[in-house]
Amino acid sequence: MSTLDRPTPVGRALRGVGLVVIAFAWVAPYAWMTLTSFKSTRDIVDAPAWPIPSSFRTDAYEEVFRTVPVGRYLLTTLVMAFSIAALQIALALPAGYALAKLRFRGKKVAFLLVLACMLIPPQVTFVPVFSLLGPVGLVNTMGALVVPFAVSALGTFLVRQALLSIPDEIIEAARLDGASELRIVYGILGPLLRPTLAAMFLFSFVYHYSDYFWPLVMTTDDHVRTLPVAIALLREQGTGVRWHVVMAGNVVLSMPILAVFALAQRQIVRAVAGTRT
Amino acid sequence: MKRRALLGGSLGAVGALGAGALGAGALGAVGLAGCGSDRGPALWFSYGGKNREALLALVERHNRERPEAAIHAVFQGDYFELLAKLRTAIHAGAPPALTHVVGEVLPYLAAADVLEPLEPLVDEASRGGFIPALSQSGAFDAPASTPTYGIPFNRSTPIAYLNRQILEELGASSPKTWDELRALAAKASRGAAGDKRYGFACPIDWWMWVAMVGQAGGELLEGDTFTLGGDAGLRALQLWKDMAAAGHMMLPAGRDYNAWTVTNTEFLAGRVAMIWSSTAFVRYLEENAKFPVVAAPLPKDARFAVPTGGTFFVAPKGAPPEHRVATASFLEFMSRADTSNEFATKTGYIPATKAGIAELEHAGFYASHPNDRVAVEQLDAVQRWPWHRNLFRIQREIVQSRLESAVLGGADARASLDDARRAAREEL
Amino acid sequence: MRPKHAIHPYLLLAPTIAILALFFIYPLFVAMDDSLYRWDLLTEPRYAGLSNYRELAASGALSGVIGRTLGFAVVVVSGSCSLGLGLALLLNRPGRIYGAVRGAVFSAYVVSWVAVALLWMWILDADSGVVTRVFRALHIPTARWLADPDTALWAIAFVTIWKITGYAMVVFLAGLQSIPRSLHEAAALDGAGRLARFRFITWPTLRPTTAFVATTSLIMSFQAFDVVRVMTQGGPVKSTTLFVYAIYEEVFVTFRVGRASALVVVFFGILIVLTLLNLWALSISRRQRKVAA
Repeated sequence: MSTLDRPTPVGRALRGVGLVVIAFAWVAPYAWMTLTSFKSTRDIVDAPAWPIPSSFRTDAYEEVFRTVPVGRYLLTTLVMAFSIAALQIALALPAGYALAKLRFRGKKVAFLLVLACMLIPPQVTFVPVFSLLGPVGLVNTMGALVVPFAVSALGTFLVRQALLSIPDEIIEAARLDGASELRIVYGILGPLLRPTLAAMFLFSFVYHYSDYFWPLVMTTDDHVRTLPVAIALLREQGTGVRWHVVMAGNVVLSMPILAVFALAQRQIVRAVAGTRT
Repeated sequence: MKRRALLGGSLGAVGALGAGALGAGALGAVGLAGCGSDRGPALWFSYGGKNREALLALVERHNRERPEAAIHAVFQGDYFELLAKLRTAIHAGAPPALTHVVGEVLPYLAAADVLEPLEPLVDEASRGGFIPALSQSGAFDAPASTPTYGIPFNRSTPIAYLNRQILEELGASSPKTWDELRALAAKASRGAAGDKRYGFACPIDWWMWVAMVGQAGGELLEGDTFTLGGDAGLRALQLWKDMAAAGHMMLPAGRDYNAWTVTNTEFLAGRVAMIWSSTAFVRYLEENAKFPVVAAPLPKDARFAVPTGGTFFVAPKGAPPEHRVATASFLEFMSRADTSNEFATKTGYIPATKAGIAELEHAGFYASHPNDRVAVEQLDAVQRWPWHRNLFRIQREIVQSRLESAVLGGADARASLDDARRAAREEL
Repeated sequence: MRPKHAIHPYLLLAPTIAILALFFIYPLFVAMDDSLYRWDLLTEPRYAGLSNYRELAASGALSGVIGRTLGFAVVVVSGSCSLGLGLALLLNRPGRIYGAVRGAVFSAYVVSWVAVALLWMWILDADSGVVTRVFRALHIPTARWLADPDTALWAIAFVTIWKITGYAMVVFLAGLQSIPRSLHEAAALDGAGRLARFRFITWPTLRPTTAFVATTSLIMSFQAFDVVRVMTQGGPVKSTTLFVYAIYEEVFVTFRVGRASALVVVFFGILIVLTLLNLWALSISRRQRKVAA
C-alpha cells in the first residue's frame, strides 16, 4: 500500500492546483449561466461580463414562463423520454436474450445489423421517415417522436453482455417448470438484470430528454413540442439577443437533468462505461 | 443495499418530476397567452420580442371580436426555420391555416401550387386598400393575370440609421450619394483595432446588395436570364470591398440574422457611426440607443432604389376547409387601417394601408416620429422583384454565399459575380 | 442453448428487427433512390441520374464538407481522448472532492446539446461574452470566435471537447479500476517508478479501451449537428458546415432533397469505411499482442 503513493509536497500542490483548474473549467460555465439568468436587461447591455448582477432579478424567468409554456413542454419531453427508455428496455430484453442464450441461424447477421444501425444518425433517415409517416398522419404525434427510437443498440448489447454471465441452468429450470419464453425473459431474467436495466433506463431517459433534431423536424404543433426545441427558439433575431432570458431558459431546461444526474450518477456512469470491450 | 436505495431514489425522482410537471403543466396551460384548441386553425409566426408581442396582441383582439373565427398563434423560429417547417408540413399534408413568408419565396410557392389564391378570402376593397408598393402587385413584376397569393403583413425597406451625436461632432449630414457615403465613412472612422470606431456597417446580405444594384442602375433579371445587375452588380460589391479594405466599414459576420443583430448592437454601442438596416428596427434602435438616432433614406448612385422586404400572409393549400372561416376573418382583420397601424407603430414596419398612413399623418404621428416617415417617403423609390420561381434560390444558394466570400473571405468581386451568373445558368 | 421452439429466436428479435428495418434500413435505401432525383418536397421529383453526385464533387462542396468534418473529428477525438485519459489518471482517487470533480466533468456530457451550445454562445459572444471582455481587459488579442470563419470551427471543436471529455474520462476510469492494485504494488516493489508502471501495466491494459473510446468519439463527432445548428447555423461563410448539418441544410434551407440524399449515401459510406478500418486496426493489435505474449 504505502510503497505506491508517496506524495511529495510539490506533487500534492500540483495535484491541488490541477483539481481547482479542472473544477473551475467545468463548473464555472454553469455558474456563469445561472448568474446571468438573474440579471436585468440593463445589466446585460451595460455590463455583460461582470459576474455579479447589480441586483438579483427574476425578470428573465418571468419572461421565459410567460412566453414559453414550460410546464406543457416539460411534460411532453418527460413523457417522450420515459416512453423511449421504457420501450427500449421492453425490446432489448428479448433481443438480448436471443443473442446471448439461443443458438439459431442468422445470429451473426442479426448482431451485425444491430451494430450497423448504431452508425446511422437520425439526420440521415428523417426525410424518408417523414415521407413514410406523413401520408398516414403520424407526423406531429408522440408516436413519431418515440417509436423510431424504440430500439437501443447499446442497450441490446448491454443486456446481452449481462445475460452472458447468467448460468443457463436458471433458464432450463424455468423451462422445466413450464414457463413460457416470454415469462422467462420478462419475469425471471428482467428482475435479475435490474441494476443493468435501471442504468440503461436512466441513461436513455437522460439522453433522449435532450433530443433536439428529431423533435425539431418531426413536430411543428405546439402540443408535441419538446422543451429543448422551445428553449433553442429563445434566440431572437435582430433585436439583440436577450442573454439573461436565454440563460434563464437554459437553467430551466437543464435543472431536471442535473437533478436526475445528481441522484443517479453512478447508474448513468455504469451504463456508459458498461459496454467497453 | 445503498445502491438499491439510490436506484429507488432516482426512479422516484423521475416519477416525482413527472408529477411535478403535470402540475406545472396545468398551471402553464391556464396561464397561456390566448391559445385556442390545439388542433384548431393555426397561424404560424416567426418573431420574438416586440414583434411577437404586437402580433399576439392583435391575435387576441381578433379572437375577442370574432370568437367563432378564433385562430391561435404558434411560434416556429425565425423566417427560415418557419419556411423549412412549412414545406415539410405541406409535404406531410398537415399545413397550418395561415402563415407568413418572406417575399422572395412567394413566386416559388405560387409556382409549386401550394398556396390558395386569396381573392375568395379577402374582398377587393381590402386588397385595394394596401399601399401599391407593398402589395404583391406593386412589389413584384408579375404578369397581370397572376392571382393574389399574399397579403402584406410586416413590410419594410432598408434604411440608414445615423448617430446624431457623431454627425454633429463631425459637422456632417446623412449622405445622399455613394461618394458622400464613402466620404462620411472615412471621416467618421477613427482609432485602431481593439478600440476602433467605424464609419459604416452593413449586414453583408443579399437584400442590401440588391438595393445597391438598383441604385447603380442595374436589374437582377433581364428577359429570362439572371444577369445579377451586370456591371451595376459589380459596382455594388466593389463599394463594400473598398470601404472594408480602407478600414471604414465594419464587417459583421454571422449567418442569416446574426449579422443583423451584430450590426444593430455595434451601432447601439457607439462603435459605428452609420448603419444600413431595416426600417423594422426603428423602434428598437430608438429605444435602446443612448444617443439620438436619425433615420435617412439610402443614398443613390445612378438613381434612388430600394427593394421591399418583410413578409406576406399566405394560406397554404391543404388545410382543413373548416379553417377557412378563421383564415378569411383574420386576413380581413389585418387588412384594416387600425390593425395594420397598430402593428406598424409598435414595431417600426411600414403601415400597409393607404388609409392607415393618412390617419397617422393626420394624428401627428409622423410629426412626433420623424424616423418612421423615412421608409414611407422612400416607397417612391421601390424597385420591384422579378416574379421568378427561382428568385429565392438565387438569393440563398447562388448570391448570398458568394457575397460573403467576396467581402468576408477576400475573394475577387468580378470572379465571384461571374461565377454566380454561371451557377444561375447551369443549376437553374 | 437450444431454443424451445425453432421460431422463438426470430420472434424475440422480431420487434427489434422490425423497428430497425423500418426506421433505419428502409430509409437508407430510400435515400439511395432519392439521390438519383431532383426533388424539393413540393413538386414532382425529376430523374437526374448521378448528377447530384457529380455536382457535389465538382463544386467542391463535397470535399469541403468531408475535409471540415474529418479535421473536426480528428481534433475532437484526440483532444477529448487525451484529456479524458489525463483526467482519469488524475482523478482516480477515492474521496468526496475527487468524486465531486469527476461528477462535474461528467455532468457536461449528460446535459443537453442545446443547453451547452446556448451557454457557450453567450460565453464566447464576440462583443459581450465574458471571454472577450476578459481578454480585452488583460490586453490579450482577442478574436471574434464564432463570428470569424478562421476560428469558428475551432470554437465548436473546443465546445465539443468540453462536453464529451467526461465520457472518455468515465470509460477510462472504468478501465483503470479494472487493473488490480497488486500488479502495481508488485511492480513498485521491483523498483518501477510511476512512469514505468504506466508504460508497462496501465497503457497495455488500456489499449483496447482507448480504441473503443476513440471509435465512439469519432462516431459522435461525425454525427455532430445540434451544436452547429444552435451556435453558427453552418456559418460564417460555411466554415462550420459539418456533414450532418450539410444534409440538414440541403433539405431545409436549399430544398434539394436529392442532393441531401446523395450526401446521406456518401456519409454512410464513410462511416462504414471508418468502422471497418477501426475493426481492422483492432484485429491487428490483437494479433500483435498474441505474438508478443
